[in-house]
Amino acid sequence: MTLLEFARGPGLQGALLIFSLGVAWRLVGTFLLARNRDLAQPKGTSTVKAGVRAMIIRSIPPHELEKRITFQHITGYAWHLGFFAVLLFFGPHVPFFKQFLGFGWPYLPNTAVMVLGAFTLAILVALLVRRMLHPVLKQISTFDDYLSVVLVILPLLTGFLSYSHVQPLDVRYEVLLAVHLLSVEALLVWFPFGKLMHLFYAFPSRYQVGAAMQRKGVQA
Amino acid sequence: MSVDAAAFQTFREKAGQLRTSAVPAAVPSDVRVDRAKTVFKRRLDAGQATYLETCIHCGMCAEACHFYEATGHGRYTPIYKVDLLRRYYRRELAPMGWLRRLVMRDITAKDLEDWQELVYDSCTQCGRCDMICPMGIHISPMIGIMREALAEAGLQPIEQRALAKEINEQGTLLGIGPGTYQAVAAELRGRGVEVPLDKPRADVMVLMNAMDAAVFKDAIAATARIMNRLGLDWTIRTGAGDAAAFDWTSGDERTHARMTRRIIEDAAAAGAKTVIVPECGHGYAALRWGGANVYGQPLPFEVMAISEFVGREVQAGRLKVKKVAASRSVTYHDPCKVGRWSGVLDEPRQALAAIGIEVREMESHAKTNYCCGGGGGVFLNERAAKLRQGAFRIKMKEADATGAASVVTACGHCRMTFMAGAQQANWPTPIESLVELVAENLAE
Repeated sequence: MTLLEFARGPGLQGALLIFSLGVAWRLVGTFLLARNRDLAQPKGTSTVKAGVRAMIIRSIPPHELEKRITFQHITGYAWHLGFFAVLLFFGPHVPFFKQFLGFGWPYLPNTAVMVLGAFTLAILVALLVRRMLHPVLKQISTFDDYLSVVLVILPLLTGFLSYSHVQPLDVRYEVLLAVHLLSVEALLVWFPFGKLMHLFYAFPSRYQVGAAMQRKGVQA
Repeated sequence: MSVDAAAFQTFREKAGQLRTSAVPAAVPSDVRVDRAKTVFKRRLDAGQATYLETCIHCGMCAEACHFYEATGHGRYTPIYKVDLLRRYYRRELAPMGWLRRLVMRDITAKDLEDWQELVYDSCTQCGRCDMICPMGIHISPMIGIMREALAEAGLQPIEQRALAKEINEQGTLLGIGPGTYQAVAAELRGRGVEVPLDKPRADVMVLMNAMDAAVFKDAIAATARIMNRLGLDWTIRTGAGDAAAFDWTSGDERTHARMTRRIIEDAAAAGAKTVIVPECGHGYAALRWGGANVYGQPLPFEVMAISEFVGREVQAGRLKVKKVAASRSVTYHDPCKVGRWSGVLDEPRQALAAIGIEVREMESHAKTNYCCGGGGGVFLNERAAKLRQGAFRIKMKEADATGAASVVTACGHCRMTFMAGAQQANWPTPIESLVELVAENLAE
């Protein structure tokens, strides 16, 4: 079995298995914990509406707060959008998804994806460097914070290398492609164990704060 | 409107003496850790777990924190202040805890000691960080859990420890108790303001607090004049205790529960339909949002902050007011526990508008308001004096930018912080009480 065959076969299957079971385990384990009852008479009663609203508007803080986080805020959302655009709308990725899902979708021109990918990669590297230098981020960062960003950078980087057929150290295309797939698998394997899980927790958390503050008569 | 400057200094001196009168808790290290972890375990639920799971360590909460803004120290990042709770959760309760226990170390007594400054000195539980987190993490209630854990471990600030001892053993707060309330009522009666004390039954019960009784007697007089003008069947019951809830800010849940039950049972005994908390942010939030949970059932009465009550009565047309004689502008400082914590944002502004005062808003106001720097018991914490003043300067700058002639607020604790901060910074802007302003402008 070649490295590429491993990456396309058992490697991918194993990563997906760990990802699925891990995500399910973590979500179920969290949400099944007991919830403390709040007996205080609420001020605002439309807590569901407020929760749903907070899921959306939490992305747009008031100006007096936003002005101190503008760089981080914009770069944060930008790299997420770039990453998912490259993942979902890169020509060679669509057939890959189609073989699992049975259907495909239109994709972006390769050049556009390359530009988006380069932009995303640049932001991620800048944010990684910022994490190492900024007094707040240096203070609060853990191994998970560094590893997670590196594991997001790697698929983008290896994707570039394999698509552009750049062959550092005279490595063959098949090996580069295998490394690209393995980097994605590493991301999938790590996903349930670290902060990447915010993909699943962020919206429930936003909902909670919206509903909790609505009970007190404040829009979160 | 006047403030008794001598009484203010005496109150501060008495508060300053708390450091010398307190005895540190002699709790062995392992017991400290066990007690803190017991609190963590009891208080963590699915809601808190969701918040703790979703943090991406982006650090944006620091940018909403006045203590970080004033110092630039990463330690003061709000989410870092609850890191021991997070570490406990991730290691011992989280679904992946079994795995993390292999690589994560347990919390230690040294950690608890190190977190004292972060939890008590550099956080006022103002909740501004709650408004910025892109993940929607509700950080300020978790600070409450941290405080409860540290208090249980005997690590609350020494001033708070001394206050709890006095409350529990003597039933007074800085020497102020039922006897003081009676003396204040007599004094106000002498000034022509009737304060009905200890009526066995009343529709409305107004609470007292030590700060008002010692320093802001005019706020009590103003409240009484408004109640009397509305013709309400009201009373102040000296046995109900102090509304200030210092025990709540320190995390001393036992004392807090006892004091809260006392208020609730007293109000229930009087058949009160409404309990009004004076200009005291913590007292209001503690009773309004924590009272029922202490009592174990919904409260048998409505709880209102005086600023909320006055605004509501003015809006409803029941409290008739006149416009101020000369046009004037003020800026309104929202006490965090009354505003962002409890949604009393419009009522004070409506009351000020009704008496013809122009409110010039600070850039950060209402739900994004900056704390004065002394909330959450920080005002009493001598160790935090420098941090408090740094935070106060941010507030001062925002107030100055409005060009308003004075700052109005609806919390005695905020007022004291402003007065102390202004004294230190030679800041000339006066700080006024909302209820006093309204009472001064009641229609004939």
